Amino acid sequence: MSVRTAILDRVRHAQRTGRIPGAAALSGPPTRGPERPAPPALIERFVGELAALGVESFVESSPDDVHARVKAIVGARSVLAWDARQLPYDVDRVLVGAARGSSPRDVQAAAQIGVTGCDAAIAETGSLVLLSGEGKPRTASLLPPAHLAIVRQTDLCDSMSEFFRERAADIAAAACCTVITGPSRTADIELTLTLGVHGPGEVIVIVGP
Amino acid sequence: MTPTAFVERAEGALADAQLQIALSRATGTLGSRRASAFESLENADAVRDAARAARMNAIANLSGLLERFESKLIANGAHVHWAETAEQANHIVVGIARRTGATRAVKSKSMVSEETHLNEALEQAGVTPIETDLGEYIVQLRHDRPSHIIAPIIHLTRQQVGRVMEERLNVPYTDDTKTLAATARAKLREEFLRADLGISGANFGVADTGSICLVTNEGNGRMVTTMPRVHVVLMGIEKLVASMADLDACLKVLARSGTGQKITVYTTMVRAPRRPGDTDGPEELHVVLLDNGRSRILAGDTAEILGCIRCGACLNVCPVYRNIGGHAYGDTYPGPVGAVVTPGLRGLGPWRELPHASSLCGACRDVCPVRLDIPRMLLALRAAAAADDPQPKSLAWGMKAFGWIASRPALYRAMARVGRLALRARARDGWIGALPGLAGGWTKARDFPAPAARTFQDQWRARGKGRAS
Amino acid sequence: MNAPNHVAQGFSPAEQRFSPAEQRFSPAKPVQLFHTCLVNEVAPEVAMAAVRVLERLGCEVEVPADQTCCGQPAFNAGFHADARQVARHTIGVLERTTGPIVIPSGSCADMIVHQYERLFEEDAAMAARAHAVSARCREFSQFIADCGLRIADSGADAKPSTIRNPQLAMKIAYHPSCHLLRGLGVDRQPKDLIASVDGATPVEVRDQQECCGFGGLFSVKNADISGAMLARKMDAIEASGADRVVSCDLGCLLHIGGGLHRRGSNVRAQHLAEFLDEAAR
Repeated sequence: MSVRTAILDRVRHAQRTGRIPGAAALSGPPTRGPERPAPPALIERFVGELAALGVESFVESSPDDVHARVKAIVGARSVLAWDARQLPYDVDRVLVGAARGSSPRDVQAAAQIGVTGCDAAIAETGSLVLLSGEGKPRTASLLPPAHLAIVRQTDLCDSMSEFFRERAADIAAAACCTVITGPSRTADIELTLTLGVHGPGEVIVIVGP
Repeated sequence: MTPTAFVERAEGALADAQLQIALSRATGTLGSRRASAFESLENADAVRDAARAARMNAIANLSGLLERFESKLIANGAHVHWAETAEQANHIVVGIARRTGATRAVKSKSMVSEETHLNEALEQAGVTPIETDLGEYIVQLRHDRPSHIIAPIIHLTRQQVGRVMEERLNVPYTDDTKTLAATARAKLREEFLRADLGISGANFGVADTGSICLVTNEGNGRMVTTMPRVHVVLMGIEKLVASMADLDACLKVLARSGTGQKITVYTTMVRAPRRPGDTDGPEELHVVLLDNGRSRILAGDTAEILGCIRCGACLNVCPVYRNIGGHAYGDTYPGPVGAVVTPGLRGLGPWRELPHASSLCGACRDVCPVRLDIPRMLLALRAAAAADDPQPKSLAWGMKAFGWIASRPALYRAMARVGRLALRARARDGWIGALPGLAGGWTKARDFPAPAARTFQDQWRARGKGRAS
Repeated sequence: MNAPNHVAQGFSPAEQRFSPAEQRFSPAKPVQLFHTCLVNEVAPEVAMAAVRVLERLGCEVEVPADQTCCGQPAFNAGFHADARQVARHTIGVLERTTGPIVIPSGSCADMIVHQYERLFEEDAAMAARAHAVSARCREFSQFIADCGLRIADSGADAKPSTIRNPQLAMKIAYHPSCHLLRGLGVDRQPKDLIASVDGATPVEVRDQQECCGFGGLFSVKNADISGAMLARKMDAIEASGADRVVSCDLGCLLHIGGGLHRRGSNVRAQHLAEFLDEAAR
């Protein structure tokens, strides 16, 4: 008998005899959240949550403003970015000499700021959702010490529950789905907070039109 | 560690002044953060009910979920391995390492790998495991063991961290936390970039989609599951939920319970090796499903404990844990959850003392995000131990006598009278400062008042019927 | 606003567990006092005080004959067969009576209310008898706070809130025993009763809900841990500036009081029944 069969047989038997309490039904089924708020409220909520996380954010009303903001934030830093066609608002036009997912690993690792779009943004928690895929290297939001994410208004959703519900197909098509909520942090040493171990210690978000 | 030496380990912990300070501060901080996080959660009760339902339903239907999980993973291009024992699990991981020619493996936090002692097995096979969770990295440098499920070096001061880094990494001594963390970051970055093999645990597996969910704050989980060519997930079979909606319910309570955050910085859901067109991500994804006693737990009175989501909230609120810390519990999982899980995984015989290391206050049950009834399970284990092999034997005889005497009122009154007289004889100024035998444990820290000459029943009879004077 | 944990979880206070019909007591029925073994043997004045308090409220108190113990020590130690033997006797003793059963101990009340049915899970007949007894049980403070007014409605005019005793102008710390707080969900009642005593100033105790470390046999089997928990509790009580610490469980009181005495502390540990009785004299 294979190990697999042995384990499954034991589990099948055990789940019948084991003392497994039913779910506590005291408060009734979880109430569905309120109706999804309109975009301005969503943006406000998103920005508020970002601030609480220590993430600087900018709301821009035109693609040109987005470009200007990107240039100002990136400055002279070397960039590791998503491919041009994956970045919204043609942002690639203002990135100079950016390394990509196809660049050698040591070049990627040397970049000072990662620039990405996002696949969704969650207002309730101030989160960015990045799916892996062609032209969307995971390293861009992971290796450099800073991460700039450009969010379109249409990317915004209310909650993680909503995201899981509405975007199940996109999630299924990706090898990896990462939800990023704030800068990397640790409090392992005496519960004292330190940022930037091991992911980016600085996260900046631009919300475009 | 000899399991029957629990009392000795506890004594040692109680005498460790620095540990006491560290534990008090850490559990107090984490505990109050948890409380605030739940106060701000809308519909907290409904959310906890949903998380409980997700986990209880999963373990009640575990065999079906495991089969579905496996088939999804395979369809997504991952490899699924099954291990009945810790040795088998280690053997599988070592085998994968050998086949891929890996000599270094970066690891993100995995309690299950502590349970199986995977690191020793890898080292013996010539593969160097490198812990990358900052706390676990320090633990590894010190050849220590983690003392808390989510805050592994809660028992260490920054001075101790500075010293071990100076010794093992050849860097100048400092106790500045930022510098210490930066040192670790630099050293581990080199490892992330060149490791052939990444090993992680899993916080949850989602049966419907074949997803493996990892929650971290540092990003080492992302590194380990992105940079190396091969990624191995080691997970207990009980870690499943049925659907993404169930995962969502659990994620809502996990970080809040553990650290007081709404959600951890990184929530990574992996379901496949890299897809065509991806420029990073592992080429091979392996999932090792481990039993190691879980199916035995599932069959009995403590099956419920398999619903634990490893948040650590019970540790932070437990007054026993707060006083003795994690190492005293002697095995991988400390605190209230450990007192139930360790006898389940390792056998009750050698671990029979753990379920008794509790005053049954119930604070753990109160804070558990999935409402596990830990006191009930501790009592069940105590009963199983007493039925199987009561120790000490004198206690078993004493209880038999108690059962006999306390169901015979006249005899009970007579015996109680003897006991009362004996106590009163030892009393000075109405108090007893030293008691013999097992009862001597009482007078170590407390006095005992001399009982009154007459019982309440005597006084009531003497009073006759009528109102109070 | 979240419900307190113990309520939401269904490890519920009598209010949730007992049906509305089981809730109402007729003031015409006498009140049965289950005095508990510890009170009977070690601190009978607690039961005497409880009787006086109840009588002042207009209750007729009866003490069922042949009480011994609820069986909790054996149950907690894992000796269920022995616990059942004692429980069977206790159920028999209480069955022979009618009316509410008042218990001046949170842990004994919790034992009878929540654990008896568990003990007799495999015996439907005994479980039903256990349930019938459980349904009548109330912890002392729960009873007089929640049912006291109904009894007063019937004509007796003494209510706890009219108590005045100038000698009791002092700071009172309350220690919530774990089975009372989390098992039975009783917390507001003892606090209200203490606060209702003119001159008594309730004081906050740091980490008030943390277990004192008694835990029955835990206090001797794990004496060092129990002692460490006791030290924390005593430090918190002393830091509160309290003159007295009041609780509804004699076990906790012997443990805390015994520790305070060992320390040479001026803080006195007192059962709520004695406190309320003293307040009325």
